Amino acid sequence: MPSEISDEALDFLLARAGLTLSPEQKADLKSVYAGVAAMAARVRQQRGRMAEPALTYGFTGEDLQ
Amino acid sequence: MTGAIPTVAEASRLIAAKRLSPVELTRACLDRVHALDHRLHAFIHLTEERALDEARAAERAVMAGAPKGPLHGIPIGLKDIVDTKGIPTTCQSKLLADNVPETDAACAERLAAAGTVLMGKTTTHEFADGGPSFDVPWPPARNPWDTDHFTAGSSSGTSAGVAAGLILGGIGTDTGGSIRGPAALCGIAGIKPTYGLVSRAGVAPAAFSLDHIGPMAWTAEDCALMLQALAGHDPRDPASADRPVPDYSALIGAGIKGCKIGVIHHFHETDYQVSAATRRGIDEAIATCRGLGAEIHEVQLSPLQDWMACGSLISIVERAAAYEEWTRTRLGDFGERVRSRLMLGALVSGVDYLQAVRRRRELRAQLQRAMAGLDAVLTASQPSEAPKIDALPKWDLFQTPSFTMPFNVAGYPAISICSGFGEGGLPVSIQLVGKPFQEPTVFGIADAIEKATDFRSRRPALVSRASAAT
Repeated sequence: MPSEISDEALDFLLARAGLTLSPEQKADLKSVYAGVAAMAARVRQQRGRMAEPALTYGFTGEDLQ
Repeated sequence: MTGAIPTVAEASRLIAAKRLSPVELTRACLDRVHALDHRLHAFIHLTEERALDEARAAERAVMAGAPKGPLHGIPIGLKDIVDTKGIPTTCQSKLLADNVPETDAACAERLAAAGTVLMGKTTTHEFADGGPSFDVPWPPARNPWDTDHFTAGSSSGTSAGVAAGLILGGIGTDTGGSIRGPAALCGIAGIKPTYGLVSRAGVAPAAFSLDHIGPMAWTAEDCALMLQALAGHDPRDPASADRPVPDYSALIGAGIKGCKIGVIHHFHETDYQVSAATRRGIDEAIATCRGLGAEIHEVQLSPLQDWMACGSLISIVERAAAYEEWTRTRLGDFGERVRSRLMLGALVSGVDYLQAVRRRRELRAQLQRAMAGLDAVLTASQPSEAPKIDALPKWDLFQTPSFTMPFNVAGYPAISICSGFGEGGLPVSIQLVGKPFQEPTVFGIADAIEKATDFRSRRPALVSRASAAT
């Protein structure tokens, strides 16, 4: 994830999210993009494809009722 | 309005002994509300008549020898994201300004069943996010220790109300520190229990997998009494834990000789340097624990920023999902701070979210290993004393890592308690973290520290001045 985002890429992401923002709001969001990118980089580790997420769940007795 | 403000435990004992009338106690709290809340803004909606009716009912029951338990007749507040039947529940937002729920949230039900006196709905950050906001229909709460300063949030009204004695306890919610942050800056106690211990049913979501409900009060002992009424399985909450409820006060007064307490020094010394007063409060708390016979051990975890990144990405996405419809159709009706945070959801991909959730499993396992053989760990709760309320950057999310978020990520119970005061008279705090469902141990250690220090004998000066004026 690059630490900067182009206007075109931001417009694409906003359109996908269904958001229509003012130029000021877009500029505000662009100003913190690097912070989000840094967070996304931090959660990526050399963990391999088998690592499970924390939300993996199991079935309980209620599923069998 | 006279006399010292009792703790929940003190008031409970006096009420049970018929030496304190629940009606007089409620009137004293209401007097403080009328004298101070125009400066504190702790309440969005005061339920004065209901409070007096409930206090009278409690008094009749006590006099008839049939009290419901230690919370019967105790004045409390509920954060205004907690649904209350027939009482406005606004989430501090224009979007829900006219919302009056038809049912009570589970935590409201349980506290009512325990006989508490509902004083009203307390101020929050809009939908428990962002804040302080000056562009939503109600003003932000102010810190009773100095009203120019921030309470932290989002359980800001409950913390201000408890510190100023407007209520003896109340409900907060905590997604990344929204109980422990305001507890810390207002100098009270607040616990985020183990994930799933207190039902979230009927409470507006912030981020589903990080949301916790918990009590806030003047002392750890008071929080234990409140948690006793709040804990327990609720099938309406899919994350609700189905396990026995222990005696949360079992270790109150038991001391901590032989307890093994870990300290995460690198969080507050290397990863982010806390203020001098906060550092001093932590060092003195460690010395107090040693003096009481506890063993102190060093604990090493991943940097604070790793926990923060993991929790923040999860939080951004889960909030964006919860409020997606309004974000798309009524974005302009949110205050600026929440609006901006909801917009962030567009920047985080599905893969980013899943990588954060995979990281969460690794971080939890790391904490589990680090706490093996320990009873609790001690760390900072906030980086400093309360900042000025008008000096908070909108994007603080990217500037200061949260000392509380790691334990939302892990789901472990964590309490914030007062550990002293800075030069300006503003409180500082520490955080004690236990193993899952080991809240009695957390309360026991917190209680021992509180009772070995004199920080619980001091209330904000504005409370004493108001008392003197009446």
